[in-house]
Amino acid sequence: MNAGTCWHCGEPLPADPPQAMVAGQARAVCCPGCRAAAEWIDKLGLADYYRLRSAAPPRAPDAQAAQRSAQTWARPELSRHVVRTLDAGHNEALLLVDGIRCAACVWLIERAIGAVAGVESVQVNAAARRARIVWNPAQTDLAAILATFARTGYAALPLDAAALDDARRREARAALKRLVVAGFGAMQAMMYASALYLGAFTAMDPATRDAMRWLGLLVATPVVFYSAQPFFAGALRALRARTLGMDVPVALAIALIYAASVVEALRGGGEVYFDSVSMFVFFLLAGRYLEMRARHRAGNLADAMARLVPAFADRLRPDASLERIGALELGIGDRVQVAQGERVPADGVLQSAACRVDESLLSGESAPVSKRRGDPLTGGSVVLEGPIIAQVMRVGADTALAGIAALVARAQSERPRLACAGERMAAGFVARVLALAAVCAIGWSLVDPSRALTATLAVLVVSCPCAFALAVPAALTRALSVLAAHGVFVVHTDAIENLALATHAVFDKTGTLTQPDLDVAEVDAADRESALSLAAALARGSHHPIAQALTRAAAGLPVATATDVRTVAGGGLEGRIDGRSFRLGQRAFAAAESDGEADDDAVILAEDGTVVAAFRLRERLRAGAGDALDALRADGVTVELASGDAQAKVAAVAQRLGIETWHARMSSADKLERLRALRMDGARVVAVGDGINDAPVLAGADVAVALASGAELAQATGDIVLDGAHLPMLAQARAIARETLGVLRQNQRWALAYNLAAVPFAALGFVPPWLAAIGMSTSSLVVILNALRIGRRVHESGPIPAAAHMRTAP
Amino acid sequence: MNILVIMIPLSILLLIGAGIAFFWAVEHDQFDDLDTPKLLPLLDDPAPKESAPAKVEREDSPQ
Repeated sequence: MNAGTCWHCGEPLPADPPQAMVAGQARAVCCPGCRAAAEWIDKLGLADYYRLRSAAPPRAPDAQAAQRSAQTWARPELSRHVVRTLDAGHNEALLLVDGIRCAACVWLIERAIGAVAGVESVQVNAAARRARIVWNPAQTDLAAILATFARTGYAALPLDAAALDDARRREARAALKRLVVAGFGAMQAMMYASALYLGAFTAMDPATRDAMRWLGLLVATPVVFYSAQPFFAGALRALRARTLGMDVPVALAIALIYAASVVEALRGGGEVYFDSVSMFVFFLLAGRYLEMRARHRAGNLADAMARLVPAFADRLRPDASLERIGALELGIGDRVQVAQGERVPADGVLQSAACRVDESLLSGESAPVSKRRGDPLTGGSVVLEGPIIAQVMRVGADTALAGIAALVARAQSERPRLACAGERMAAGFVARVLALAAVCAIGWSLVDPSRALTATLAVLVVSCPCAFALAVPAALTRALSVLAAHGVFVVHTDAIENLALATHAVFDKTGTLTQPDLDVAEVDAADRESALSLAAALARGSHHPIAQALTRAAAGLPVATATDVRTVAGGGLEGRIDGRSFRLGQRAFAAAESDGEADDDAVILAEDGTVVAAFRLRERLRAGAGDALDALRADGVTVELASGDAQAKVAAVAQRLGIETWHARMSSADKLERLRALRMDGARVVAVGDGINDAPVLAGADVAVALASGAELAQATGDIVLDGAHLPMLAQARAIARETLGVLRQNQRWALAYNLAAVPFAALGFVPPWLAAIGMSTSSLVVILNALRIGRRVHESGPIPAAAHMRTAP
Repeated sequence: MNILVIMIPLSILLLIGAGIAFFWAVEHDQFDDLDTPKLLPLLDDPAPKESAPAKVEREDSPQ
């Protein structure tokens, strides 16, 4: 950690930082929470964590507040939902842990929680950010475990007990087993097949040849009946629902190739294709496995909601005392108290004095919103000045937050998921082969019924070559893995095609193009440096975004020490520097006489009511945002900006980034409407966003790109998740997607041409076995080598340091 | 070519063995977390201070 930043969390240090003793050395930390966490970690003998980690954890939660939250979980009304009793003496709970940044966090949590007496097992999954804890209820309880999490510096939230069954883990394990069985089968089948191909040259004796075929049958059978099960199950589901999903042609192709080969092996004539069918299944499964991993990484809607809605509320009893209850227990008309920095537990009305709340998560508006008595408050927004008292008006499914979730679900169900180009081709191909086989069977049964079976089989077998089966899955699988290596996780494969063909890109502003923190754009003062250093002296200890921007701007300047610094709710900061009294904040607060200037956005530094300096702040653009937009525009994509923020702010960002079409003050529903309008005109739209308010828009777009640093809800609706919020990767991903589409088409044309050339000759008996063998292997090799070309150009143009970027991020 | 009569069944037995071993590994959490375990050997693992002496005592007592 650098000097000037917290030893534990890496945030800038306040003027007089607390010291934590770690491994016998005093280390400066930013807050008591971080000090407690660092000393606790050291006491457990786990100080190695600081050496191992590759990313700093978030600021440790405030110890007192966290202890209080943890105690609430001791209430049986709450813990009943989240704790499962395994047997006498064993309870189990699944926790969602915020702030797991790297493998060292996992190490730390497993050891710190494992040291609690009574905890029997701790399993942390870093990718899913979940911890599964089993403990002995006689020795400890959930509240103690949660308190230990808080002491170690992580906020943990118990998940509903229904999540314990962990469908995800089961799914991942089953998929891995199927993939490996298919891989083993494909390798072995290929071995026996190459013996058969070589045997065609050296006049292999029929007994050995038949033995090789039977061996092929032996290894391909588990692949078809075990590994390919998901395709058959999916096809069956689709047929029952009377639709032709993407699994139907795939299942049909597998069944056809396998059945035809089995018949040929039994009859002892013609060719067998056990190697093709195994390879086909293996490549399809590999593609689906990568997709599943990306999906698990992106999370799901239920998890996302669980994190957003506050778990508890402080209900005011009639006698004005407080009682902590679960947010689910709230009823309409209840009065709740919300402390500073906490989330409003349900939609309500403000009953106490004016305050400011941060609604950026919900509306996309970056500036805090001022609320007066009687104004509505939205559940999930953060109270910046508290404590406040609110009366609950809507709970559960009626809240604005639940409304957004419902909008997401509806937009998602309304979007027609097109089968991707490859699947459409495969479906058409299977249909044509079946038609051809039927024609052949009818034709021959009219001419010579005894040869009908042979001829039909010949058509089926010859026209199901590996090249066609491999052309699409090989290319898609390669594209998925190349993109994943660059930090672009594709959740739905059809996103590749849509991304390549996209005509419009709609960006969200707050959090997507801009960063949550601010920048000082302009200093209006006689002496810029001394003004900044005075302001920074006051702002140093505050975590308000404006204060932090001022502190950053003054980095490198000699900063004076302020004393008696006090935060005035609704106004700003005041304190004394060198015996003079200063105020920093809104004009009305800092300056004695309000001269009625229109410039209300400026932050004023005043000495005894006389204005010393005015600071104008602007949003900080995300690194690479400009490059990303330029690359997209150069590629022919029309870029739009749609934001929930105020007109002036959106206009400023649009102007800085050169975006011509922009829309401000848009609600989630407005954005969705804009998207519909674009799509009505035939546009294919990429939506890029990170916030909760973006989720419905993402769900309604042709391709949804979510930032991995953004809200869970947005990620859960994304088709593509961008790791490290590295926006320029989007243009690169589009280049890779286009390349993939090109390779797909080439592969399919090649396979089609090969089939058209080979089928008639094979049917007429003009192709000797050795030539068929060479043709078969060459055509498979061609499509696989062609697929491997995907992503080479991107590698040559220089590595995209997705991982390095993450490491340097604060 | 008679050697094939032995080698091929042997290879299939090996394949089945490898398959069983892999299934066992998947069922025993070996593939659930691929990121953390690689770090663990790099650490000294000092036992928590309070319980460390207790352990030593227990080891010594049978002698």
